[in-house]
Amino acid sequence: MSTDYTEYLAANVLNEQQLVSYRSLSRALKVHVNLAKQMLFEFHRKQNAKKPGSVHATYLITGTRTEQKPQEQNGVQSQDSEDAVMQSSPPLPSSSAPQQQEEETKPTPVRSILLVKEEHLDQAKATFDHITGIHAYSLAAGGLSDVQTLTECNRKIAATYASEDPLEAWKQYGTIQNPNVRRRTQKRPPPAPAASTAKETAAKPKPAPAPAKAPALEKQATKASNESDPNSSRATPVPEKDTDATKKKTATKPTTKRENSDIFKSFAKGANKPKKTASTESSAAPSPAPAPAEDEPMGGMSDDDPEDVADDVEVEAGAGTGKSKKDRQAELEAMMDVEDEPMEDTAEGASDEPMEPPKEESVEEEQKEEEPKESMTVENGRRRGRRRVMKKKTVKDEEGYLVTREEPAWESFSEDEPAPKKAKPTPAPAAKGAPKKGGAKPGQGSIMSFFGKK
Amino acid sequence: MARSNGVSDEALLSQPSDHEPATLNRAPSSYNPLSNFALPKGENRHYQQQFADMYFARLAQLKPAVETIAAESFEGFEIAGETARRVERVLDVRQGELCWVVGTIYMELPLKPNILDDIGKEHWIAAPPPRVKFLTPGGGDQTMLEDESGRLRLVGAALEDFVLVTGAIISVLGTENSDGDFEVLDVRVPDLPRQPQRWEREDGEAAVKKEAVAKREKAGKVALVSGLGITGDEGDTLNLELLMEYLLGEAATEQDQQETATVSRLIIAGNSVNAAPVPSREELASKKSSKKYGYDSSAYNPAPTNRLDAWLAGLLPSIPVTLLPGSADPTSIALPQPPVHQAMFPHARAYMELPTSGLVGSFDSATNPYEFDLDGWRFVGTGGQTVDDVFRYVPGDDRLEMMEAMLRWRLWAPTAPDTLWCYPFQDGDAFVMKECPHVWFVGNQPKFETMLVEGPLGQKVRVISVPEFHETGEVVVLDLETLEPELVKVGIFEG
Repeated sequence: MSTDYTEYLAANVLNEQQLVSYRSLSRALKVHVNLAKQMLFEFHRKQNAKKPGSVHATYLITGTRTEQKPQEQNGVQSQDSEDAVMQSSPPLPSSSAPQQQEEETKPTPVRSILLVKEEHLDQAKATFDHITGIHAYSLAAGGLSDVQTLTECNRKIAATYASEDPLEAWKQYGTIQNPNVRRRTQKRPPPAPAASTAKETAAKPKPAPAPAKAPALEKQATKASNESDPNSSRATPVPEKDTDATKKKTATKPTTKRENSDIFKSFAKGANKPKKTASTESSAAPSPAPAPAEDEPMGGMSDDDPEDVADDVEVEAGAGTGKSKKDRQAELEAMMDVEDEPMEDTAEGASDEPMEPPKEESVEEEQKEEEPKESMTVENGRRRGRRRVMKKKTVKDEEGYLVTREEPAWESFSEDEPAPKKAKPTPAPAAKGAPKKGGAKPGQGSIMSFFGKK
Repeated sequence: MARSNGVSDEALLSQPSDHEPATLNRAPSSYNPLSNFALPKGENRHYQQQFADMYFARLAQLKPAVETIAAESFEGFEIAGETARRVERVLDVRQGELCWVVGTIYMELPLKPNILDDIGKEHWIAAPPPRVKFLTPGGGDQTMLEDESGRLRLVGAALEDFVLVTGAIISVLGTENSDGDFEVLDVRVPDLPRQPQRWEREDGEAAVKKEAVAKREKAGKVALVSGLGITGDEGDTLNLELLMEYLLGEAATEQDQQETATVSRLIIAGNSVNAAPVPSREELASKKSSKKYGYDSSAYNPAPTNRLDAWLAGLLPSIPVTLLPGSADPTSIALPQPPVHQAMFPHARAYMELPTSGLVGSFDSATNPYEFDLDGWRFVGTGGQTVDDVFRYVPGDDRLEMMEAMLRWRLWAPTAPDTLWCYPFQDGDAFVMKECPHVWFVGNQPKFETMLVEGPLGQKVRVISVPEFHETGEVVVLDLETLEPELVKVGIFEG
């Protein structure tokens, strides 16, 4: 175990220059937070013994502080109120004056929880009256310029471990357990926090998607930059790799889902049939990533009108097509080939164009109306066949003018399974996941980021 | 150097140990909300009624209480051989006669916001800044007493001894002088109503069902916080994260974690998000010109609520949360504020019960004000607007005194509907206190303060002003056995 954490910290703190807090360490290694705190301390001690100043730590001190502003204020306040009592004694004899004096004699105890950089540790300790505990909070290579960047740790945790069921998994981290907690959706895990922006979209009235997505993208961008090196995560000896990938997929999916319901449902009708079968087939297989929980419609209170919900469901079913990818992935995982698949997958997705799908779709849709008899076979998750496309031809006519004409032509194609109908849901999320995973440029998202709030 | 208590505070500054920390369980609590401040649903919610009805209703509700108290102390009151006489209506007061009368206070303050200002606004080049106080420096303010019959101007040095705001129901003793003004000698207020016993409601329900009351465990603590002020920007939320880690029992040492486990509920008293204020009429008008189809992303920033949702979802698996809205939260600003809609909480709402189920989930998005029983004690809390508004009428800034005055007036929102937005209640003013709470907390106050208010019948109310977390990093932790508060301060040492 000791090698575990040293390795992890060496990889993340020293090599990747990441911030590691006791919480992120405990999540990564699946250990109790208190143990993680000790690991941080030990690592910090050892590294700095080897090379002073190589690792910078922050500490959390709890205790009562000498410099207790609130208490002073209290004192001042009670003097004030004495004055006040003079000028406006409350109507009844049982007024507050005596109690306030009591109050004054018994100041409210103040417990402080203070985050301190290591260079200020002694200084900070001196301000404490009584210290109940100190522990290492986070480590970073070099120095920490802005303490506020530590919030990044928790955000990453929320994003990365979104699919963990907090009621189950948090026990091992030492979170206080609440046996009385009531959660509504028992069958499914709660929606992933990482998807917060995305899911928000789902909950909002339709026109919402674009702006809501912008923050998501930003977040991903930051995330991406943080994880910029794909090797970083691979270097970790932790099995979070695959969960990671799938998780991110789930996380991002909802965003697109709503879009689907908007844009795609209009086309979906004609294209639906073959897809459906595909989807049922694929969703029958256990998909590695739990579908993001869609709350049951809430009678009366919900802003989602029933139609929307229906759409969502439909689309979700449709999204199953996309899952065939996951399906394959699951198989692969089963074959213990966990490492690379997600990457490959997403890379594929990325190259697959983020925004194209709708366009392609509509073109195909048109064609379909005109000429319903294209042939197509589905095998091994690839679709092959011939289809009719409009080709542009430029010819010189009798009078010597150049004329561009669109002519129908047949071409054969072979493409990734999900193609026309529901395909869209998956490629987009995959594409989004891609920058993250592959360490591609974070800026490259969907066109939706253009509409986001600047 | 700090004193330390030996081993325990250094325990985590050591090599990883094999010591397996015990799993901590959150202390249970009995939580039993009341729906006194819920507005009628849907069709039944009307806004056409006149606000005057509220004043009539309020006077009718509180008059008996004030009369009883006034009668006790004023009956037989004698000055120069003249005995004080009770007068039924304000207009029945006769000049030179010693009498006492009950009515509603109305403060005539020239600086009070006036609906006619809205018209004047169109001629301003720049609007004057919002006022901290409505009081006119150097005088010019008048205090009146009114009832259905008419108004009486109150004068006299005695008035200055009392906190008075528009809407308070009081009884005054005095005489009308030759100017036609009423010289006040003394004032009586309704004072605290009956206070239920601890566990009264639960015991009562059990008795009705003929169940034996199970033995109750020692109650834990409750954490009160307000003014989280989430902006959605990065860079100012580390305190929030620290608070979450503390409440989850992950931060700090084992000893602290065990103590945290006794905190059985978190109550957020308003202003969880720091959204832009309601746009003014001009802003709205200028927006109209560029009409956009559907959702306008420039008009609404989802980041703060997303952030709040994520934060809550991180806490809820471990600690139940009650969320009261405040003036900046995304819900109606008219009191009583309806709960923040669950659509704002796509993640946290998994911990809510379906509205139809009649149960209370771990996450309770509540009204403001809100009344509930926690471990047998009656709690009433607000997001702070009511006290802030009273503050504008009163000289000085002793907020505890104002809160005490509000309790003794038996009014949760005395200045509504005069200067505080509120729903036009028709049958009775919902802001009249029917039962005296054990704990009254007010969110978004400048600093933490607390006091114990005692009533004539031995009622004891713990009054707590909850500071803004965003400004102070302070959380009030209230012991549910002793009702003694303590303060937890989260912060970052800046050297």
